[in-house]
Amino acid sequence: MSLLTSLARLRALDEGIAQPVATVRHCHLAERPMVFIPLKLSGEAAAPLAAMLGTDRGDPRLLVVPQPRNRDLRFAWAAELAGVLLPYVEGFLGDTETVERRNADPYERTVDAPQIIVPNQGGMAFVRLLGRSTRFRRTDGPYPVPESVPLLGRWLTYFAERAAYPGSSLMLAATDELGRHWASGQSSLEDANLAALLSWITTGPSDDAEDPLVWPPAGPATDPGFDAEVLAPAIEGGSPERVAEALRTQLEPTWRLMWQAIDLLAGLPEGASVAQRWEQDRGSFSGMAAHVAEGTPPQARRDGAVAAAAKLARMERAQAAYDVQRAYDDPLVMAEYRLTGEAFAGEVIETVPDNVEGEGRSRKLRPLVVIKTDDPVRLAPGTSLGTPQRRTQGAELVSADDGLVTVKITKGMGRGRTAAPGAVPEVGERVCYTSLTDDFQGSPSLPESEATPWTHGGPPQEYTPDDEDAQEEWS
Amino acid sequence: MGGRGARLYIVDLQIYLDIAKLLENSGTVGTLAAMGDRLDELERRIDGLRAAVRRAMRARDGATARVLRAELRSAERAWDQLVSGEQSPAKREPLPLVTVREQVHQGLRLLGATAQPRLIVAVGDAFFGGTLRSDRLTSLRRDEERSFRSSPFGRPYYLCAALTDRLSAARGLLTLSTWPLERRVVGPLSPRVDFLTCAIAVGGQRGGDERAVRLLIRMARNIPGATDGGLGPPDPERVIAAARAELRVHAERDTHDRAELARRAAAQLDDAARLFGAATLSTITKEKAK
Amino acid sequence: MTGLMREGDPVRRLEVLRGTTPPRPHDARAIAALAANPGCARRALMDGAGIDKDAAARHLGFPAPFGQSPFAITRGNAFEALVKADGCAELLRMLRELLGLPIAEVAYHDVENVGAHLRHAHTRALIDRAARDGGEGAPSPEAGAEATAPPATETAGPGEAVSTAGTLYDHPLLSLRIAGHTAYLEPDVVAFQLGGRFRIVEIKSFAVIDGQADPSSVAAAARQAAVYVLALRTMLEELGHDPLMVSHDVVLVCPENFANRPVATLVDVRKQLAVLRRQLDRMTTLDRLLDGLPDELTFDLRPDEDGRPTRPVAELSDALRRTTARYAPDCLSTCDLCFFCRDEARQEGASDLLGRQVRDELGGVASVAEALGLADGTRDPAEGQEEIARLLRNAERLRRECLT
Repeated sequence: MSLLTSLARLRALDEGIAQPVATVRHCHLAERPMVFIPLKLSGEAAAPLAAMLGTDRGDPRLLVVPQPRNRDLRFAWAAELAGVLLPYVEGFLGDTETVERRNADPYERTVDAPQIIVPNQGGMAFVRLLGRSTRFRRTDGPYPVPESVPLLGRWLTYFAERAAYPGSSLMLAATDELGRHWASGQSSLEDANLAALLSWITTGPSDDAEDPLVWPPAGPATDPGFDAEVLAPAIEGGSPERVAEALRTQLEPTWRLMWQAIDLLAGLPEGASVAQRWEQDRGSFSGMAAHVAEGTPPQARRDGAVAAAAKLARMERAQAAYDVQRAYDDPLVMAEYRLTGEAFAGEVIETVPDNVEGEGRSRKLRPLVVIKTDDPVRLAPGTSLGTPQRRTQGAELVSADDGLVTVKITKGMGRGRTAAPGAVPEVGERVCYTSLTDDFQGSPSLPESEATPWTHGGPPQEYTPDDEDAQEEWS
Repeated sequence: MGGRGARLYIVDLQIYLDIAKLLENSGTVGTLAAMGDRLDELERRIDGLRAAVRRAMRARDGATARVLRAELRSAERAWDQLVSGEQSPAKREPLPLVTVREQVHQGLRLLGATAQPRLIVAVGDAFFGGTLRSDRLTSLRRDEERSFRSSPFGRPYYLCAALTDRLSAARGLLTLSTWPLERRVVGPLSPRVDFLTCAIAVGGQRGGDERAVRLLIRMARNIPGATDGGLGPPDPERVIAAARAELRVHAERDTHDRAELARRAAAQLDDAARLFGAATLSTITKEKAK
Repeated sequence: MTGLMREGDPVRRLEVLRGTTPPRPHDARAIAALAANPGCARRALMDGAGIDKDAAARHLGFPAPFGQSPFAITRGNAFEALVKADGCAELLRMLRELLGLPIAEVAYHDVENVGAHLRHAHTRALIDRAARDGGEGAPSPEAGAEATAPPATETAGPGEAVSTAGTLYDHPLLSLRIAGHTAYLEPDVVAFQLGGRFRIVEIKSFAVIDGQADPSSVAAAARQAAVYVLALRTMLEELGHDPLMVSHDVVLVCPENFANRPVATLVDVRKQLAVLRRQLDRMTTLDRLLDGLPDELTFDLRPDEDGRPTRPVAELSDALRRTTARYAPDCLSTCDLCFFCRDEARQEGASDLLGRQVRDELGGVASVAEALGLADGTRDPAEGQEEIARLLRNAERLRRECLT
């Protein structure tokens, strides 16, 4: 958390209403997101109890395990869930575009992709565990399950892994996304309560939000009082209708909150880089679909050393790119860097558009721009700069003192002897420059998987799920 | 009701829309509105009562919660009846052909050693088509003791408590009166020795179903060398050999401990205490309190 | 722990604080939670005086947001029963695999067999004997060890059959002095004879999936186990043995993956022990906390015959406010009084409400109004606040610029 966000939280607390910490939406919002609210049985790692899900706010599906200790019913539930989620996911596979690549064969990318929205981090973790507990199941042998169950497991595992990828929007947690765009006047711990966070954003704080009788927890854990007083007697009573009815009372309020959260996010204009990140999501999704179609085995229980290192490096690069893109897309995010002196903004007070450097053949056009700023600039002369106003342009800091900064444009002003029209900002224009740039560092050189050094466990065994995976009790 | 009878219940937001269809088909549309109203009213009442119960529980007001709970249950029963259109069937368990007492006796005889109720239940499941439930076993010992005291040795056998090194009743260990004292006392090594003895008995038993295999797997994984590490069912002969091997390590000391305890029990305890354990201070206090 | 026994003023003052309300015994979880917010004087005093914080919070109209689901409780009990079934057969397997426990080491003592009132004395006697046998490798006279415990039964004498100490003690009962009160503690199992050391076995029903468990659950288990380690070490010390015979590595037993099969892991609790000791030492210096308080101050709930509190809420609330709390959002998962203190922090406009990160970010500016005043420039920075004031003013300028 930055000081800027802290200040927003203080302001929220003082004014009794959440304060914006973003001016644009930084996540993709699908036209038809799949809202998924899972509930699990208390005390169990991932024993499903119920879920409410669907793409139509007026028509949620309720799936219930009427006797949660019954293993067969759990798998029946998983099959039922697969019956809703798989057609949704597979519905995006038909419409593709061909993507040309340098040094590689072109590939097919879906023009849109699924998006799952869960209430909170707990929901994410449940998706991951549910994926883990179903993807190794066999359709034959001693504990057979319907064919759709292991397939569901692979997709859920994929969504959960992808959700950890910075900037991905294939699966979102509502509280995380709201928290990225609004600062409430409570702690981030309390922000994990969807009802509480939403009430801060919409009407101001309300004690009701923490009363499980008014707003049941958004899952996956249920309220202990509900378990004791409502659910346990209903399960004991052996009436599936009553169990379902009881669980519906716990899920419906959250269902409404989820759509309210989506509406709030949809009310923000989309950030300029969101489409680009969604394109990556679509590419990733298409890749996963290809894996499934080719019949590759389910994801391993654990990554090998090289795969783990490569994944970590990818995620670090994605995080860096995501941070930069958000700053470029959103002045309020850029303000964080202006506060720390890594960026500055101000008005152009002088330009030398035809400034040149060097002689003869090495003579280069290097327009100069002088900016008056109130920001504390902590950048050294020679620092490479980028600017959100002209994203393809490169610049370099020449000097900075007394609120006057001189910048030299080095790239992206055209090839002519004079700068292309509009390439050099006009006097009076407000501009922002920052040392943050979105050029990717090359990937770290990692050995091939087969050459994993012994210090890292040696080459991993080819992962083949065994009987133990398939027969593992689910209790 | 599309879902009834299926393993999984998918419930639409308004259950009684389903009921509406059902009633339409059966030509009783006229009662529909009234029934919907009644359901509405019941649901409102149930919601209100639930909230009140939980509020009372949070305030730790047990008395109010109990009253409210009773009201809640009757409202829920009414709702069930209305929705399912029938009396919720009283759960009836099949009458066991053999009494609980006899089933425990059977289990213990098979195992041949003092055992915990849950193991006896597992053996009943595995080899005798089990109808035992461990919660049924809790009062068993007290009943046996009462019966013995009213007419000593009136029955051919009693299910009784194992005796601890203090000659009091061991918690949660059942044994048979027909066994010699040495087998009914437990020294420090006896739980392990008895477990191994039981494993040998289970390994030697034929004719069990899948539950028997699972029981043997569970026992085998806790005996060194009893499995080959594979996932398949363990080889019973191998389990028996492994259990015997470990048994040899403990047998001498355990036999010695048990003989000593049995000698003391024989010398110090009367008939009833020899079967059901010497009274401890706490049981004496409880008796006096009555 | 010696300071705790000191009689005199602080003890009397703590009794006054508690008043007529019966003392609430501490369990390991409560003691472990003491270490969660060591800086909170209100909590230290209430715990020190043995006050039922849960009852106080309810009476004040701020019931704690905790509760345990019956499903979780059932699951926990069932798992523990599984681990301990048949003379701890599962546990023996795990100790053999994890620590190389010799095959011969299988002796099992169910301490609970002696009846509730003797459990503590019996635990002491067994541990004493084990420490001697294990320490010197020779059997000790039985009677000597048992002499500390009152005779167990009328019929059977105190003597024991020939047997060696160890290996597993089920349902032991330990104790720890907390600010003048004895807290009784029930570890799941104490194991002995692993290289002459005692080990606490902690059985928890949260799952370890593909080698990973929920970090906060593991941390809570470690904190709780540290309390047992400390209690057992204290017991050994009192008996004249080396307290370090108790290993700081506790055996954590959890279900593995989605099956019920138990798996054991060693968890080093040295860090938790250090925190716990520091906090308990602090409790011995409660007199310092008491110093600034009026003599007649009491947190008494004045329960009637049915145990229902009768003290006017405003009065109790005033009394509590005389002590300083250090509210942090973490309290919401650890302290019964959290909603009361949060409400207080709200009324005071304390920046603590927003969490540690915000507090750190604000570098010591404690109140919301003060921080906003510095940001708006309506308040001049005090000495030492110049830097944070500059940052806040800049942040405010930037926010305004971006949002208008």
